[in-house]
Amino acid sequence: MIVKSILNETRQIERAVTLIQLGARLQVLETETSLSYERLLRLYKEVSGKSPSKGQLPFSTDWFLTWQPNIHASLFLNIHEYISKTSALEEIDSVIKAYSLYSEQMLACDVEPLLSVTRAWRLMKFVDNGMLTMTRCTHCGGLFVSEPYENAKHYVCGLCNPPARAGKGQATGSIHLH
Amino acid sequence: MKPDDQILDDIRETNMSYLMLAQNLIRQDKVNALFRLGVSEQTADLIAGLSPAQLMKVASLNTLLCRFRMDDSNVWNLLTQSNLGKSASTQTARLHANILMAGNFKEAM
Repeated sequence: MIVKSILNETRQIERAVTLIQLGARLQVLETETSLSYERLLRLYKEVSGKSPSKGQLPFSTDWFLTWQPNIHASLFLNIHEYISKTSALEEIDSVIKAYSLYSEQMLACDVEPLLSVTRAWRLMKFVDNGMLTMTRCTHCGGLFVSEPYENAKHYVCGLCNPPARAGKGQATGSIHLH
Repeated sequence: MKPDDQILDDIRETNMSYLMLAQNLIRQDKVNALFRLGVSEQTADLIAGLSPAQLMKVASLNTLLCRFRMDDSNVWNLLTQSNLGKSASTQTARLHANILMAGNFKEAM
């Protein structure tokens, strides 16, 4: 039988509140906290003032490999690596910290944070399962999110060698090349 | 005042500001501070534990306490926007520099 600890529960609620404020979906909260679905639902409404969005989470690794999302995902993952190498944190707490730093840098660059916290969390799961990995760019030496079977000898990142149509979109908040 | 004195004063002042900012950052949020300062946890604990008197002493050196972090000429070019190829903008250059800098945590371990 699990002994209920009030301290532990407080920590769980705090964590859930932070995740909700960052815009996490309910599925993230269910996985990362030991709180019941009913309590999470109530907490969600209390914190965000609306019901959580329904439906499945995005499940494909392809999104992380397209040009623009790849830049966002790579920045997040590099920050996450930095944090988990320098501080001993539980996995979800390092995701929270890294996500806040990522959003801050995006704001400073005038780019909309395309990566939601749910996507960021998803990305970590894909990396843990070996469905995505980091590959070192042979030009700039930076680490970028890639497929696990990417040929590391010839890998060039999307920033050193952008694809032909990249950065041409007019949408505000997206990454522009010119 | 001799010009040398002025330089020593400036160095002491910079050291003071740096240490006080570092202490603030570390006390506020240590994890973020390690990322922003680029120092190891050990160093962070030392800085955070300095008393005001110790801080004054440490700051009064004739050398700067903080070191330049952009040793990589690649990152430097991206940040100063020199020698950018035609396939880069100010924005992508900054993002690129951010990615490369976040990937460099050897000295903070």
